[in-house]
Amino acid sequence: MMKKMIGRSFFNSAAPRRAWALALSCAMLAGALPVASAQMRASSAKSQRLTEDQRAAHVLNRLGFGARPGDVERVRRMGVEKYVEQQLQPAQIDDAAAEARLRNLEVLKLSSGELLARYPQPNFLLRRMQREGKLPSDLAELRDNRKTPDAASNNTSAKQPDAMTGATANPQPNAMPGAMPGAMPDANPPAIDLNRAEYRQAVADFYRENGLQLPQRVTAQLQASRILRAVYSERQLQESLVDFWTNHFNIYAPKGADRWLLVSYDRDVIRPRTLGKFRDLLVATAQSPAMLFYLDNFQSVAPNPNAGGVRRDQMPQRGQQAQTLPQRAPAPPATARPRRGINENYARELMELHTLGVDGGYTQKDVQEVARCFTGWTIIDPRGYGRLSGAMKAENSGTSYFNPRQHDDGEKNVLGHKIPAGGGISDGLAVLDILSKHPSTAKFVATKLARKFVMDEPTPELVSRVAAAFTKSDGDIRETLRALFSSPEFNAPANYRAKIKTPFELAVSAVRALGGETNAAPALHQWIARMGEPLYQYQAPTGYPDTAEHWVNTGALLERINFALALVSNRIPGTRVDLSRFSGAAQEGGAPDKSRAIDAFAGAILQGDISPATKASLLKQLDAAATNPSAASMSAPAPNADAGGAMMAANAAADAMDAPGVGGGRRAGQRAQVAANNAPVSDAARIAALILGSPEFQRQ
Amino acid sequence: MMNRRFFLKSGGVAVASLGAAGLVPSFLQRAASAQGASGITGGAASGRRKTLVAIFQRGAVDGLNMVVPYGEKNYYAFRPSLAVPQPGKAAAGESVVDLDGFFGLHPALAPLKPIWDAKRLAIIHAAGSPDSTRSHFDAQDYMESGTPGRKSTGDGWLNRHLQSRPEAQASPFRAVSMTQNLPRVMQGRSPALAIANLNDFTVRAGQASQSVQGGFESIYDTAAGDALRGTGKETFEAINFLKKVNPAQYKPENGAQYPRTAYGNALLQIAQLIKAGVGLEVAFTDVGGWDTHVNQGAARGQLAARLTEFGAGLAALYADLGARMDDVVVLTMSEFGRTVRENGNRGTDHGHANAMFVVGGSTRGGKVYGDWPTLEADKLNEGRDLALTTDFRDVFGEVAQKHLGNADLNKVFPGYAASPAKFRGVLG
Repeated sequence: MMKKMIGRSFFNSAAPRRAWALALSCAMLAGALPVASAQMRASSAKSQRLTEDQRAAHVLNRLGFGARPGDVERVRRMGVEKYVEQQLQPAQIDDAAAEARLRNLEVLKLSSGELLARYPQPNFLLRRMQREGKLPSDLAELRDNRKTPDAASNNTSAKQPDAMTGATANPQPNAMPGAMPGAMPDANPPAIDLNRAEYRQAVADFYRENGLQLPQRVTAQLQASRILRAVYSERQLQESLVDFWTNHFNIYAPKGADRWLLVSYDRDVIRPRTLGKFRDLLVATAQSPAMLFYLDNFQSVAPNPNAGGVRRDQMPQRGQQAQTLPQRAPAPPATARPRRGINENYARELMELHTLGVDGGYTQKDVQEVARCFTGWTIIDPRGYGRLSGAMKAENSGTSYFNPRQHDDGEKNVLGHKIPAGGGISDGLAVLDILSKHPSTAKFVATKLARKFVMDEPTPELVSRVAAAFTKSDGDIRETLRALFSSPEFNAPANYRAKIKTPFELAVSAVRALGGETNAAPALHQWIARMGEPLYQYQAPTGYPDTAEHWVNTGALLERINFALALVSNRIPGTRVDLSRFSGAAQEGGAPDKSRAIDAFAGAILQGDISPATKASLLKQLDAAATNPSAASMSAPAPNADAGGAMMAANAAADAMDAPGVGGGRRAGQRAQVAANNAPVSDAARIAALILGSPEFQRQ
Repeated sequence: MMNRRFFLKSGGVAVASLGAAGLVPSFLQRAASAQGASGITGGAASGRRKTLVAIFQRGAVDGLNMVVPYGEKNYYAFRPSLAVPQPGKAAAGESVVDLDGFFGLHPALAPLKPIWDAKRLAIIHAAGSPDSTRSHFDAQDYMESGTPGRKSTGDGWLNRHLQSRPEAQASPFRAVSMTQNLPRVMQGRSPALAIANLNDFTVRAGQASQSVQGGFESIYDTAAGDALRGTGKETFEAINFLKKVNPAQYKPENGAQYPRTAYGNALLQIAQLIKAGVGLEVAFTDVGGWDTHVNQGAARGQLAARLTEFGAGLAALYADLGARMDDVVVLTMSEFGRTVRENGNRGTDHGHANAMFVVGGSTRGGKVYGDWPTLEADKLNEGRDLALTTDFRDVFGEVAQKHLGNADLNKVFPGYAASPAKFRGVLG
């Protein structure tokens, strides 16, 4: 019985391609002015060796997301080498406090099947409601008779809900009606027009009555978890590596089922393997439903598939790290339509982007052979349709398995290695072995790690040394990083504060530098998106480029400046900074001293690495503001002058964000926004914003 | 090259000597000089920038109801409830607007007929991506990357056009997408701006915005030896220049009436940038709502409402720009067409080839280009869609080469033997 059900739902779900609903539109990216990284450094004289404070700041910046108040001192006292070694062993760092901040992010605890059940697509839900007779009777009748309601033809110019089929829209992760995804399958589309207010209302009621939430919340919570961990985790290198590997093995959340599958990808695939053997990480990504979906391998089928023996294994439990995919042969019904043929996407990107690199020495013939090896690596009920129809067990939806009936079991030849016929699932594993041991992979991975942690254009000497460490350790990521962090290049003054921060790094490092607090309400991620790096939303499998020229350009720089202003004046709901801890020190024992205030902020934010010219500019700016009362509040800057009512309003909005009534939160957020916009800018806020928006802070 | 560098230097000196920083932003001087030096075909002497406005109809518009092959019997046979009546077979506004005796515009696009009559509007039918995907995601990806079938292309074809004609210090407004996020087609090494609304392109610090901006300007200005200094300078120049342009007060000319929608506003602001002479070379926006699987409508209905907005926007841009349309080409695209037969829900499903519009510039308009594959059942793609006879790269390539002066199409469309021999001759 189970077998049959799986077979049916499998074929339902895998039939034609679907129209994908997107919560957010095109990956938001910046172009860039050509900026040579070598020129990025301030030209101020640098000593031949970094001071101990600089070395501490450097590892805090490069291994993690920058220093919090007191961190530099802590690392210096502990010893830089010891700190690096500690960061290389994240499991031994107590991180309970950071993990406790994630407790409200429900999605992190759910399996893909549970996520599909609790966060369903509205239009599939509608079909189920109709089947179960839960649609209001007049609406059901309307649908059955296929009447064309007048309203339906007139409301289409309203906000287009589907970012892929609608225009590029503002991301609104919480919006209920406006965010209805409109994915429609090719064949037999449901005769339901989600633009109709009555349907929307019925669906909204159903969500509420059944404790369901919109699928957009899944990505929003996953993004929030990344921000919270980057800000609060003591395992800073682990978070940097999660960022790095997630980008190396990039997946675009708005593509179909990946919205739900990415939670498991982050938790079960990437996080446990950031510092292990590269091969294990590669195998885990290859077998992950998220990657199988994103690069289409789940629908890659041999033209003349093996009709051979049916083998069955136990399905993996969540959290288990199966070395191989479970094998299962859904019996295709006699009426099943032939599925699509071989799909080469995964095979190509596996070699071009995950292992060998574009010039890594493979041919189109290799791509075809590798694609043959991976036929039959697929997903059970990836979108949860089968589960919604009641034919599936929730725990099986969205898990991967090997289907020998779809596998091309003939002999293959990959990069000169013969893979004998009849290998079944071991064909793909053999390919991953070949690739992970290939010298081009060592070089490619070494180059990317060196680019991430050292410099935009790593020297050939650095790359070959790091690649050698990779090869010698059989692809051990921890050993490879040891070689990287101990290299002269990593510790060279020329590379100190030389690498442009990504928007994610900039936002998190700004919050950390000011000792700020955040509950990662969506507003903070929206700023990261506006600066050009929405998490899990880079469309192409390349992932975000990791060089300065990509991140620094006119539009992006303006957003970085505006982010700094929004942060220091507490205009980001859910995120809060208290500048009085810095400005208070500057005014002890009398009138505030502008120079001391600047030093206090420059010390906290830039560890004092501020150029005399920048400091002079800051002083001039404060004097100018003082002569123009309408432009700044100079009247006895109380520690919280910048905050005041605006901060309270913003915090109220942040609290409301956490509450179930999302609409109220949005309104409160808007009120807070208005209040904060009209709030005067204190000297403290002005100094902090100017330093956070300065050229110096854009680098690490 | 030497001349240009000299010009740039003396241009900067000239501004400085005027003692009126901000009077003419330096990026505009550079833009003008780059334009003059790069020898763009036509108009180089005048120093006027050629501009491409690309409009993406996201969601796959039904090209067969947008540009109706009303001379095809099968069009009416396959679409009993969706077909638009032949010209004269129903009242004006309820029937096809005849173009050439075989093709006609959907009645909602009637505002485009005068542009057609003036021979400034050309149509390429049965055009699109050679890739067979029916996924919106993949097909949009391919149309924007310009590399159908290849997903790992990191940049978009419009950006590669910009890359292949580098300008040492281009105007920050050289490439602008009037969208919230930078679309795939504009992503890449060459700088490009995404601006949802020109009014928001400013330092936001409430009442203190002006003085805070001054602070940032000063910090970036004194960051000697720092490459970010140049970026900062450009940024503040752009902000200040836009303030003078004063987008909030813009009044369209020639009675142009833009739709009061995001799409209409995007076109309005593009017109504004073109008129302001900010060095705009490539502009982009998108318009959605075309995925008409259900209750698509015929002369009226869902699709008609979308086409009304789409056509009104194009017509308004054309009217507003007036004589400036000589230097502007508008190019429309959509990821794939829709099935020739209507489905069981009075809609259409994902198809293959589609129709594209080219307006303005040297367009040889008043003609439907391309080989018409017919709607005979055995001529349909996979038995269900309009077959493809023009690769979209041949249209994009013709526009890039003839309008924007790109002589290196192999860089814009890698892996494709782009060649003028394959152009349809849409542009003169």
